[in-house]
Amino acid sequence: MTLVPTDLHVHDEAVAEFNSATADRTWYHFVLLGAAVLFGIISVGFVGTIFWSSLPTWLHHGVTLLTGKGWSSPNGPFGGLAMIVGTLETSLIALALAVLVGLGTSIAIVFLVPRRLRNIIATLVELLAAVPSVVYGLWGLAVLSPWMAVTVNPWLNSWPFAKVLFGNPGQEFGTSLLLASIVLGIMILPTFVAISREVIAVVPQDLIEASLSLGATRWQVIREVVLPTAKIGLFGATFLALARATGETVAVALVAGGVADAQFHLLYPGTSIAAWIALTFGESQGNEIAALMALGVLLMLLNFGFSMISRALVNRQRKILAIV
Amino acid sequence: MSDMTELNEPVEDGHLVRDEVRRISKSVHARRVATSRLMMVLCAVALLVAAVPLVMLIAELVKNGLPQLNKAFFTTEPQTPTLIAPNAAGGVSNAIVGSLALTVYASVLAIPLGILVGVYLAESESKLASILRVIAQTMAGAPSILMGLFAFSFIVHDLNIGFSALAGSFALAVLMMPVIIIATEIAVRNVPNSLREAGLALGARNHKVSLRIVLPTALSGIVTGTILAISRAVGETAPVLLVIGGGFINQWRPLDPVSSLPLSIFENAKSQWPAQRLQVWGAALVLVAFVFVLSLTARIWATRKQQVRN
Repeated sequence: MTLVPTDLHVHDEAVAEFNSATADRTWYHFVLLGAAVLFGIISVGFVGTIFWSSLPTWLHHGVTLLTGKGWSSPNGPFGGLAMIVGTLETSLIALALAVLVGLGTSIAIVFLVPRRLRNIIATLVELLAAVPSVVYGLWGLAVLSPWMAVTVNPWLNSWPFAKVLFGNPGQEFGTSLLLASIVLGIMILPTFVAISREVIAVVPQDLIEASLSLGATRWQVIREVVLPTAKIGLFGATFLALARATGETVAVALVAGGVADAQFHLLYPGTSIAAWIALTFGESQGNEIAALMALGVLLMLLNFGFSMISRALVNRQRKILAIV
Repeated sequence: MSDMTELNEPVEDGHLVRDEVRRISKSVHARRVATSRLMMVLCAVALLVAAVPLVMLIAELVKNGLPQLNKAFFTTEPQTPTLIAPNAAGGVSNAIVGSLALTVYASVLAIPLGILVGVYLAESESKLASILRVIAQTMAGAPSILMGLFAFSFIVHDLNIGFSALAGSFALAVLMMPVIIIATEIAVRNVPNSLREAGLALGARNHKVSLRIVLPTALSGIVTGTILAISRAVGETAPVLLVIGGGFINQWRPLDPVSSLPLSIFENAKSQWPAQRLQVWGAALVLVAFVFVLSLTARIWATRKQQVRN
């Protein structure tokens, strides 16, 4: 028996088979590559189309869009300051609420809840994230806003300096920037918890045990060891939640009141970039559509910026823990 | 002897000092323990606070939504109440039909492409793959209203197709694709290399290994991601709001304007008619039930996968 094919015919067959294998590989790769390129085109089209449609506004009324205060349909001027301010206000307050409650929740899930219950709670957090935003909006509008108007707003207005923070008593509404912030906070809570819980759970057990063996209490372990180790990932979770908050649309459209007025009184009605697009797009034409597209570009920049920061932070956290 | 007396005094002092140290350390310890307990209780309270909205929301949904559900709710088209018949709000069949049509079309557009791109990202080391990965991750978190703006500019305006189910499902497909891509890539990467190599060693060709070994092994991960993508798309209002047109009639063809459950909730939540404001709760209950069933199914698929692994 010889290993070298003496029969030329057999050899040809082997070559043919080899060739067809490479041909298969090209065919298979071609399909995958085609799909990938198509997705690339779609995503470039996504950014490009929105930017292109907004171009007239950037060329002729860019400054007005960024700094102008009034929005008058259908001929303009189209000032976006109220929406930009509203987006930042509601997102930041929502973020503060979500981080405060979410951090406690994550610590409780990892360190207090028995292992068997953890899965159930993880499922509940997922369900909270799965509730469509229009349902949160409906709930905020029909249940929370009457409660705000009757109970919460008068109480808040009895605070010292309430006028500065909340506006004149008697002029406040049930649907307000504050209600939008609260509803947003509830909506981004699962996003924050999903990541912060994971980041806290993977802090190495030996660090925790070393610290416990030195006599640290549970809270000391968390404050001195767990949170510092997880810090960067927690900032990542925060930015992801912020990215989600800025882009949230219909819930804010339902509960913020929908008034385009740049002001800082939290109990007055307001709006956000995304909510304003949803509320006005239906009746707009020509220049106004371009202006709304330009608001869309702003929203895209904000959102992409925050989610890029978030991804960089979470990736850095992964690397750090890989080294530890 | 005098040494002894000299020594004794500091010893007595030493006792005093030791007691003092003990007292202080005890109080420090007590304080540390008290702080720890307080903070852990606060964390537990945070967990409860986080649970309150879910419980309240579901309670309201069931309380207000359940009385709305009857046969007419599912089978008749909506109508606007009038002063003569203020309670005649009809049903939401148009929204249910529209939602189903949108979901089916969007799935057809997004699932095959999403899976192919996901497999590409998992199997290719090219520059294109790493760029597309970042793009997919960024798009997965993009505000959904932007998909609506995109579909409006491209489908409704540029291609001049008009307000239609097609435009809406295009927007939803753009929303679903990144989710499917990311899930597929992770699932395919998780397939052990030994399986691939075993296939190749037996003489199977690359695409055979992919189609017959890798994809079936990764299937449950891909299914989980796809179900999650669908459940997200079903509940979205913002992307379809700008492009599907709405309307009261049962319509489902790709070029027809359609309605959807989230859209009908959004439009009627502020209705001046109490009958419509109540009916909205029924639609919300149906929507949430559907989305929950999808998410739980996805979760069960995922845990089954883990059990098979182990």
